[in-house]
Amino acid sequence: MPNPDLRGRVGAPAIFILLLLLLTAALPAEAADTVTVDVGAVYASNEGTSIDPALGTIRTKLRSMFNYTSYRMLDRKRRTLSVGETGEFELPGGRSMRATPLPAQGDKVRLSIRISEGPKNLLTTTLGLRRGGMVLVGGPPHQTGVLILIISAE
Amino acid sequence: MDCGTALGKIIAKADGLLPRQEEAELAEHLAGCPSCAADDAATVATGPVLRALAGIRAKEKAPALDAMWTRVRAGIEESRGTRRRASWIARWAWIPAAIALAASALLFYPARTNRSPFHPTSFDVAFEDVESDASTVALVDKGEDLPRVIWIIEDAKS
Repeated sequence: MPNPDLRGRVGAPAIFILLLLLLTAALPAEAADTVTVDVGAVYASNEGTSIDPALGTIRTKLRSMFNYTSYRMLDRKRRTLSVGETGEFELPGGRSMRATPLPAQGDKVRLSIRISEGPKNLLTTTLGLRRGGMVLVGGPPHQTGVLILIISAE
Repeated sequence: MDCGTALGKIIAKADGLLPRQEEAELAEHLAGCPSCAADDAATVATGPVLRALAGIRAKEKAPALDAMWTRVRAGIEESRGTRRRASWIARWAWIPAAIALAASALLFYPARTNRSPFHPTSFDVAFEDVESDASTVALVDKGEDLPRVIWIIEDAKS
């Protein structure tokens, strides 16, 4: 038979601990020495005229920059990385991207990016952008169109 | 009626199970048999004696029973009080839990909506170096309000 007295004694501290955990989990979520790298893989082609709503405000910009009629988000991955820590992102078509945040000042983010396809190194670059900034990497062929990577860092 | 039958009927009468007609026959036998009459008298007297004995024992045990009942009642009251406190906690426990959920929603929700789908705040990008071992790479800059692009040309396919 459960002990009601014991239940009462355990309930209040358990709720308090839950509250404490929630608050402590929320506060350091955006620590300054970490960078959240967000990579979206978009398939651009001339098959159809649909534009994926998941692309958000970037949809109109893609249409004005490129000549493709259809843009579809194939995959999106997000990793929070410490400075010097390398995160690997699997990309469609057997490609992969490695991102490493480098030391930066203020609201700037420096990212070392390496995109490869098997043993082939497609791109090695170091980007400097503001937190919340974005850059596109496009061109690798995919099915009948191309792959455009949307890389943003916060 | 013989004495053996009469004894069975004496017991049945004491238990209140003897029909009236048989009771009359028994009375007739008892009137003529002093031995059975004595058995009947003894049997009739047994009930009051047992009741008296039980009364005496109950009186002897009454203080102990009262004390025990007092303890039992106190225990029941204490248990009720504890249950009331526990049920109060159980009834209102959802309030801090709801506050915690609301607080976490407020803390996390704006950040999450900002991230999905894409809502960039800046396209100001500096390229420190751009290299490729297997492709031709082009930097495309169509203006400040448009994203900067690194275009990879693999085997002149795109």
